[in-house]
Amino acid sequence: MTGRRDFLKLTGAAGAGLVLGLRLEAKPRPGETAKAAFKPNAFLALRPDGTVRITVPKTEMGQGVRTALPLALAEEMDLDWSKVEVVNAQPGPDFKSMQTGGSTSVSSTWTPLRKAGAAAREMLKAAAAAQWKVGLDQCRTERGFVHGPGGQKLGYGALAEAAAKLPLPKDPPLKKASEYRLLGKRTPRFDGPAIVTGKAIFGLDVRRPGQRFAAVLRCEVPGGQPKTWDEAKARAVKGVKAVVKVPTGLAVVADSTWAAFKGRDVLAATTTWDEGLAKDFSSAALEAKSRAALTGPADEARKAGDAEKALAAAARVIEAEYSFPYQAHATVEPMNATVHLSPEGAELWTGTQSPNRAQGAAAAALGLKPEQVKLNVALIGGGFGRRLGTDFSTEAAEVAKAAGGGPIQVVWDREDDFRHDLHHAATLHRLRAGLNAQGGLAAWAHRIAGPSILRSWMGGQKSPSQASAEANGAFDIPYAIPAITVDYAEVEAPTPLGWWRGIEVVPNVFARECFLDEVAHASGKDPLQFRLDLLGNQGVVKFGRDEADIPRLKKVLQAAAAKAGWGRKLPAGHGLGLACHAYDGRTYAAQVAEVSVLKGKLKIHRITCAVDCGFAVNPAGLEAQVEGGIAFGLSALFTQITWDKGRTVQTGYLDFPPVRQGDMPEIETVIIASSEAPSGMGEPPVPLPIPAVLNAIFAATGKRIRTLPLTGASLA
Amino acid sequence: MAPIQLTVNGRVRTVDADGDTPLLWILRDTLGLTGTKFGCGQGVCGSCTVHLDGKAVKSCQTSLKEAAGHTVVTVEGLSKDGSHPVQKAWIAEDVAQCGYCQPGFIMSAAALLKRKPHPTDSDIDEAFADHVCRCGTYPRVRKAVKRAAGGVK
Repeated sequence: MTGRRDFLKLTGAAGAGLVLGLRLEAKPRPGETAKAAFKPNAFLALRPDGTVRITVPKTEMGQGVRTALPLALAEEMDLDWSKVEVVNAQPGPDFKSMQTGGSTSVSSTWTPLRKAGAAAREMLKAAAAAQWKVGLDQCRTERGFVHGPGGQKLGYGALAEAAAKLPLPKDPPLKKASEYRLLGKRTPRFDGPAIVTGKAIFGLDVRRPGQRFAAVLRCEVPGGQPKTWDEAKARAVKGVKAVVKVPTGLAVVADSTWAAFKGRDVLAATTTWDEGLAKDFSSAALEAKSRAALTGPADEARKAGDAEKALAAAARVIEAEYSFPYQAHATVEPMNATVHLSPEGAELWTGTQSPNRAQGAAAAALGLKPEQVKLNVALIGGGFGRRLGTDFSTEAAEVAKAAGGGPIQVVWDREDDFRHDLHHAATLHRLRAGLNAQGGLAAWAHRIAGPSILRSWMGGQKSPSQASAEANGAFDIPYAIPAITVDYAEVEAPTPLGWWRGIEVVPNVFARECFLDEVAHASGKDPLQFRLDLLGNQGVVKFGRDEADIPRLKKVLQAAAAKAGWGRKLPAGHGLGLACHAYDGRTYAAQVAEVSVLKGKLKIHRITCAVDCGFAVNPAGLEAQVEGGIAFGLSALFTQITWDKGRTVQTGYLDFPPVRQGDMPEIETVIIASSEAPSGMGEPPVPLPIPAVLNAIFAATGKRIRTLPLTGASLA
Repeated sequence: MAPIQLTVNGRVRTVDADGDTPLLWILRDTLGLTGTKFGCGQGVCGSCTVHLDGKAVKSCQTSLKEAAGHTVVTVEGLSKDGSHPVQKAWIAEDVAQCGYCQPGFIMSAAALLKRKPHPTDSDIDEAFADHVCRCGTYPRVRKAVKRAAGGVK
């Protein structure tokens, strides 16, 4: 188990906090009466008219939880999908540990949600059976109705009141996959209609009566503080209502976002700064420190056999250094939160991946108890791990506290978002492989050096699982190699870091799968056959507390290669490259990229991805995650954050260029049919496009690229 | 400073704000039309795209003054009920992921198809060259534009 998952478990993302018990809501929602509505658990409420409200305990950020999770409940309850309404859970007694991250949303809720639906179904059946005076086994359910043996038929709504009086079944039977009517079928995104008409409400779209808007003037260097400033000129800007000091800087409160931005610009011109501890931070200095750490002491993440001895005895040693830069999340919706203080407490609206922690942190800032802060989880305009942080929602609470009065929305602009991201840190990788006299791979050593994301996340504390967290994707190298050493050397860095879609697996699998390609070519072997041979006849392989089912990995590798036509004759200048990984040992994916490099110009034509994530709950959503994960991974071929004088050099989408419409290759997805429990799909596709494309560039040109980002110069 | 008039989604609106205010903030903060999104404020992400006299423009780069007396259509005004061919194609291809950037894509797609009812792949690339979708909906955007092709009057 890796550090992040330890963390997620500690904070409850594994779904341990989900409640399944018979309980009636104390306060019915408007239009409902507690007496008539059937609410057998925290996830669902059945109304007398037969409509059903399903409460989703995970945050929607494009990964499809507001579709996939309700489908699991609706399937077991045999609901009419057109009568389902989906709402977001709020942190509180029913939902004590909501967190969305680690590609765990489906896997952690799959069983509780199906059980919740099955229990409700059994209770509705029992209510009908009692009314008809027939046996329970003579009743069946279909699309919101219970059917009896003599052609009787009652809608769920009509049975709600009677069902609510029945005992909750302890262990309701779950359907067999062959009985599924909704699960495993292609269901369009629940929020699609609201999105295409502009009605979907994201955090930034929250509008409350009397709402004001605020922008915070922060030091360009993270952690810096204003020393002197002159509020008068900012206050003179039309629409500006107040300038207040908050822990992160100076907040300009106005009656519109634009006035807040204008006031902030005026204030910036009068402000001097104490730039703080990070003021001299630079990428060049960090790289020098990381390079030194490639040969110094390190923490072990994996050890099998004696790699140093095997390298010393090898007939041939290959060595290479790989480099992956800092990255930003660059969500299209900038960070924001809206806070309304009242005598009773506070109400907070924000797109957060960590509702309970956001609630707790805001409460602490306001001197309130968590239950005095009502937190509304808004739709998220891109999360990618950024919104696991509570910095932006806590800051909004501080602004509301300092400014007083009615609701205030704190809006970050694009530059704020880049400069004060919780970045993904840069790493250097030293890889060595020892080949025996027959060209077989006898030893593998992978050293990773860079700042620790986990330490930053743990408030500066070193976690016992730090090395395995930072080496995730490297320590769990799935190939059968007699001697393996994977270790991590920490290098200090002064700015805050955070989880980024695909986490450390992205740089580590980039280095691992590209270097393995180098070794295959050095051995004179085909990269596909070389991998298949190394995966060999292994079964389930254990790496510490993690494990991977190697036959499942082989299967995706073979499926992707077959679909992509591995080994076929290609036009001049074209090349195929591949990469594979068992993500957290739970989701198996392989990708083949076809690229061409003609006159120094790279075109990525197609990426073929085969995945085995267990049972495919919603294949339409799964394919969207593959397409999106590949776009996210491909972007990181071209993007980087660099630091100079404590500041990010990049501040927008022009100097941090994610892939756009014309850059996007064709994507082909092969889903391996599986009856295993579903795992995750948010992150597993992300790490593979980088090595697949770089290996394809090598196949096309003979040029091995080991340093990202990829620039025109890399291909010249 | 005199109030400024413009037509938004078929309604004449009178706005009392500085003429240099970007149309984006007039729509979102003054008129409460939050379907038009703020992504970058630099004119390079396309999330704020609206139609000005039928042409796709970035509302973060269009001042209120420039919009004065003109006709603005936002995603909320594209159709009454989501029945615009582009909106229907977007649903049919299940394009959106998080959905935040999608109103901008949809407005650019509608303007493209009005201008060029049967766009080529390179027309599509060009029409969305200034758009960013960090979720990576691009393959489905392409399919949806092709599905809607010929249907936009």
